[in-house]
Amino acid sequence: MMLNGSEIIAECLLEQGVDTVFGYPGGAVLNIYDALYKYSDKITHILSSHEQGASHAADGYARTTGKCGVVIATSGPGATNLVTGIATAYMDSIPLVAITGNVTNDLLARDSFQEVDICGITMPVTKHNFIVKDVHDLANVIRKAFKIAMSGRKGPVLIDIPKDVTGAVCEYTPIQPEEITNPLLSPQADFEEAAKAVNAAKRPMIYMGGGVVSADAGEQLLAFAEKIDCPVATSVMGLGGFPESHRLFIGTIGMHGGYETGKATDNCDLIITVGARFSDRVAGDREKFGKDAAIIQLDIDKAEINKNVKINYPLIGDLKDTLAALTAASDKADHSDWIDQLTEWSKNSKICQTPDSDSYAHPYCLIDEVRSLTSDEDIIVTDVGQHQMWVSQKYRFEKPRTWCTSGGLGTMGYGLGAAIGAAVANPDKRVVLFTGDGSFHMNLNELATVRSYDLPIVIVVMNNTVLGMVRQWQKLFYGRRFSQTDPHRKTDFAALAEAFGVKGMRIHNDAEAGSILKEAFALDEPVVIDCRISPDENVLPMIPPGKTVDDMITEME
Amino acid sequence: MQNKQIIGLLVHNHPGVLLRVTSLFTRRGFNIDSLTVSPAGIDGYSRMTIRMNGDDREVEQFINQMLKIVDVKKAEVLPEDSSVASELILVKISSAGDTQNDILAVTSAYHASIVNIGASSLTFRASGSPAQIDKLIGELAPYGIMEMARTGIAALDGGDICLSDR
Repeated sequence: MMLNGSEIIAECLLEQGVDTVFGYPGGAVLNIYDALYKYSDKITHILSSHEQGASHAADGYARTTGKCGVVIATSGPGATNLVTGIATAYMDSIPLVAITGNVTNDLLARDSFQEVDICGITMPVTKHNFIVKDVHDLANVIRKAFKIAMSGRKGPVLIDIPKDVTGAVCEYTPIQPEEITNPLLSPQADFEEAAKAVNAAKRPMIYMGGGVVSADAGEQLLAFAEKIDCPVATSVMGLGGFPESHRLFIGTIGMHGGYETGKATDNCDLIITVGARFSDRVAGDREKFGKDAAIIQLDIDKAEINKNVKINYPLIGDLKDTLAALTAASDKADHSDWIDQLTEWSKNSKICQTPDSDSYAHPYCLIDEVRSLTSDEDIIVTDVGQHQMWVSQKYRFEKPRTWCTSGGLGTMGYGLGAAIGAAVANPDKRVVLFTGDGSFHMNLNELATVRSYDLPIVIVVMNNTVLGMVRQWQKLFYGRRFSQTDPHRKTDFAALAEAFGVKGMRIHNDAEAGSILKEAFALDEPVVIDCRISPDENVLPMIPPGKTVDDMITEME
Repeated sequence: MQNKQIIGLLVHNHPGVLLRVTSLFTRRGFNIDSLTVSPAGIDGYSRMTIRMNGDDREVEQFINQMLKIVDVKKAEVLPEDSSVASELILVKISSAGDTQNDILAVTSAYHASIVNIGASSLTFRASGSPAQIDKLIGELAPYGIMEMARTGIAALDGGDICLSDR
């Protein structure tokens, strides 16, 4: 059938099973929005307040569903506003397709109004990007974009489309996408070699990451860990990929991980890395990380092998396949002595917090109270900073895709957009956003979106009136010179919420936390809870950057 | 161990592919000596030949990162002992004074040919391995190199092997 470029975009989205997109209209995407009007019974468009919010919403949609997120923006500033969202998705390997309009072909390269080279700008933060100058190429480019975003190590792809292409007409023939399969690249012999190391290990440890969630390989990981009786530590990105209540789970690993995971890393004789990438927040000292251990790395991305840490046994392929093959090749084992040792160490992992007070609530108390009101399936979103680390330490994640956080890029302002995407995608689940006053100030404009679509998100603002994480570093490493981290803004978040038409509440101390949160959850409508916490609360323990567990800070003034 | 390695890339001949490859050099901190791009003799493909400095781990990382670029079809090391590699140089030497015969003695030893004669300069063309070209430059330097241009290395596998089949 003959369709214009914009209708082809809509048809191609339908081919891919897309029924929800996020975005913001503008001059260069007028044709696309005209098609969305026509296809509004098949494709729901969620309008954000700002393109960045839309990009994070598409990301939250993707993280909580496993599907590819789609975001649409106009040329120029619309496109550049997506960049932080795209970079966030890129660092965490989240599949997104971003569609941007551009000026017409004859106006390209002339510094025309709202023209920007978004392909050039996003090259380092996308898996690939395209500019489509001929409508005849459009359908295949969109199909390719989805395939690239969803195959191998997932990630964002951008398609830039000049306005005339969205209006030009050509023949369109639907094509059903083929199922994406990722080849197993390591030969059987490699699994047998790695299994010898597994069988020989006396003190093995699994270090898992976001790849387990991305590959939906939680089941395979559980089977493997149980068969070889191996403790499991996770990066912040891997939370939810392994049930925290399981006896083999020992906690998060890295800068704000527990004492026992740090000791385990130092004392183990084998590290089995599953879908994780030895970032500086995990392997602070690359040379000393697992200094006495051989390292097996299971990953879909060959370029992760030997990137940060020398790997003895690389196993490349989809984690479901590589885990199954390694499980089959490994012997059943019992490591109870080693696990007992870890339990012993975990007794040293004390939680420090400021003294009890009537005027402050404790972060851990807020998190525990929320946990008592949520089920294992409910979704927890965070922004970036101290609150994010407290949640990663304290909230008990049991199920994959219940955790949305900007782990790699560390994007303050990510949370509200991501929570919107999560809530749109999961109307049957509760979505809770933990944020800080610093992060929330960045993109709280999306409260307008929350209200417009009546998304019953519970927003817990841990308000300490300071930029807590940076301030904590200033305390530790900059002689308590609190440069620009004590803004003491006067924002009344509860009143602000009301101005957006969103219910506002306040928590002043631990004593009232439980009852107010319960009330908030019972509302089943959007609610912002301004929770006063102490500006002196720290995230502990902490391994300073570039250091090991031997340098762990467990107490601060 | 740091050493020079030659890497051959086969890439889709799309606009922007050169930028995708070269932007990775700075982003990932690869240390590149030279880069040449030309048609690959296969429809729709270009060939890039890259000479880089690095140990085995860096070269492995370089190749794996290159292969993540959607437009890169092949990336392989061309081992020094089993490949043919050559580059071309144009060099303009001052011929003022009575050094002409000495210059010609040097250049003829390297099979460099005169491609232009100026009032007080001679321009030579020579080709060979980067090591040979380096040596030629070293020997010509005392006579006064006015300017020069090197193409960077081009390399093919020896024997019947082709990059596209590897």
